[in-house]
Amino acid sequence: MLLAVEAKNLKKTFKTKQGNVEAVRDVSFKVNKGEIFGILGPNGAGKSTTILMLTTLLRITSGTAKINDLDVVKNDSEVRNKIGIALQDTGIDNLLTARELFYTTARLWGLSKSKSKDRTKEMLNLVGLTEAADRRVKTYSGGMKRRLDLGLSLVHKPEVLFLDEPTTGLDPGSRRVLWDEIKKLRDEGVTIILTTQYLEEADELANRISIIDEGLVVAEGTPDELKSSIGGDVITLTFRSDDDAIKAQTIIENSDIEDKQIRVTVENGAEKIPNLLNLLVSKDINVQSVSANKPSLDDVFLKVTGYRLEGEKTLIEESK
Amino acid sequence: MNYSKSSFFTQLGILTKRLLLRLARRPLAELPNIFISAFFLLVYDGALGGVFGGNAAGTPFDFANGNFLNFILPVSIVSASVSGGASGIYLVEDIESGVFKRYQGMPISKWAIILAPIVVGAVRVLLQATLIMTLGSIIGADPATGFLGYFAVLGMAFFWGMGFAGYSVAAGVRSGSSQGAQAATFLFFPALFLAPTFTPRYALKGWLETAAAFNPTTYVLEGMRAIMIEGWVSDLILKGFLVAGGFAFITLSFAVISAKTATEKS
Repeated sequence: MLLAVEAKNLKKTFKTKQGNVEAVRDVSFKVNKGEIFGILGPNGAGKSTTILMLTTLLRITSGTAKINDLDVVKNDSEVRNKIGIALQDTGIDNLLTARELFYTTARLWGLSKSKSKDRTKEMLNLVGLTEAADRRVKTYSGGMKRRLDLGLSLVHKPEVLFLDEPTTGLDPGSRRVLWDEIKKLRDEGVTIILTTQYLEEADELANRISIIDEGLVVAEGTPDELKSSIGGDVITLTFRSDDDAIKAQTIIENSDIEDKQIRVTVENGAEKIPNLLNLLVSKDINVQSVSANKPSLDDVFLKVTGYRLEGEKTLIEESK
Repeated sequence: MNYSKSSFFTQLGILTKRLLLRLARRPLAELPNIFISAFFLLVYDGALGGVFGGNAAGTPFDFANGNFLNFILPVSIVSASVSGGASGIYLVEDIESGVFKRYQGMPISKWAIILAPIVVGAVRVLLQATLIMTLGSIIGADPATGFLGYFAVLGMAFFWGMGFAGYSVAAGVRSGSSQGAQAATFLFFPALFLAPTFTPRYALKGWLETAAAFNPTTYVLEGMRAIMIEGWVSDLILKGFLVAGGFAFITLSFAVISAKTATEKS
């Protein structure tokens, strides 16, 4: 497989008045050409900082990074020609129209006036903004702005596209539209590196995922590989009271508790459920519901970090 | 796809055009400064013209040479040229909105990104100063140097406005907010009023006379007044150009250093 991106022991330290802050402590990964690579992690994990370093927008404290074999520090100008960037803050001039923005961007990339006009039409069509092309961007919805942002990062036909939390703040419908466009780009051969804090998004889009927590890579693989790494099925037991859940956790080995729920990973989950229920009934513990499922990325995240990604960062206690 | 890199001047032109479009889309933002400058001209001429000019010619304030409008017009032009201070606001708005970062991710010159708002500030200064001079001309201003004198006044206003542009860019990027850039232009008020604004310098007294001697605005006003009232008086006009040009050079250099530091990769 040809490599599009290679990050080796990336580290970023910010100097602040309160002392040094290590935003990225040690991040390494390889991205193959033509794949979608997801960087999954909570806020503050170091995802955006990693993207900024890879896109030449932030100085690397130590480590190396290459895009299509070009060093991002030594060949920063060539690297910028190869990549497209859509950062978290869209960076769009709200007083201009989409047509004006595409045209200006094409001209800045060195296209002639007539080619810039042609490219503008193509891009408006690609991101579905032809009808709204002459409206000022401040009248656009969040989803339209994101699509415009994506389009602006594609004007020069980049080989590698960096998307930093592309769907954050979007409604489910707009998110789905953007996902389809990202997949279409992958099918056209564009390598895509996207950061996300949505498990569903990583599962849906990414060919491979790197989970980052507190500036470190804690797991990497395809979604299926990561899920298989847990092994077996996840049985989820829901109780009527917190007390019952706490009592149950003391009885069921290697279980995690969260509110009124206990989760335990076992081989052949469906077969184990009757015995588990008998055991709990014998101890006078009332179970409200029970289910057995294949592990999700949520379970993977919980296993490798000790907390759930979605919602507050609270450590989940595990019974020994 | 291989894209040829656009030249520095193409980039500067494209970025300037974008900011001019923004300017055109917010016409109301131009009104307060032009209104204040026009207001100064009409009110000061109305209130003080009868005392210092016209029938009062021959009083100790005869610097006005019988036409107070020629004396007070430079005050309004200097006031209009403060509109160059918008440059800092344009730049900081781009930094705040993420537009600056987007451009940094493209192979375009950082200097084109920083210079574009300064060029737009210059256009703003020229437009506003021209409007004030046109108004002055309509209500009776009559430069001793003839029509060419207006161009000399416009040139001095341009340099003075660029001085404010540089100052606001530096203040904006250092404060990191468009409010910071906006607030910085309030320096204009002491600069304008601690100067021979309403009377010639020799009529000022005590501390104000001393303050005026150290205030660069004084020399710009006197240079413009020489053009309007006395004719091509080389030493006063030269001093005016040197002070305005020097102010522009110092603040623009400061702006470039500040912008370079503030926009460098951290």
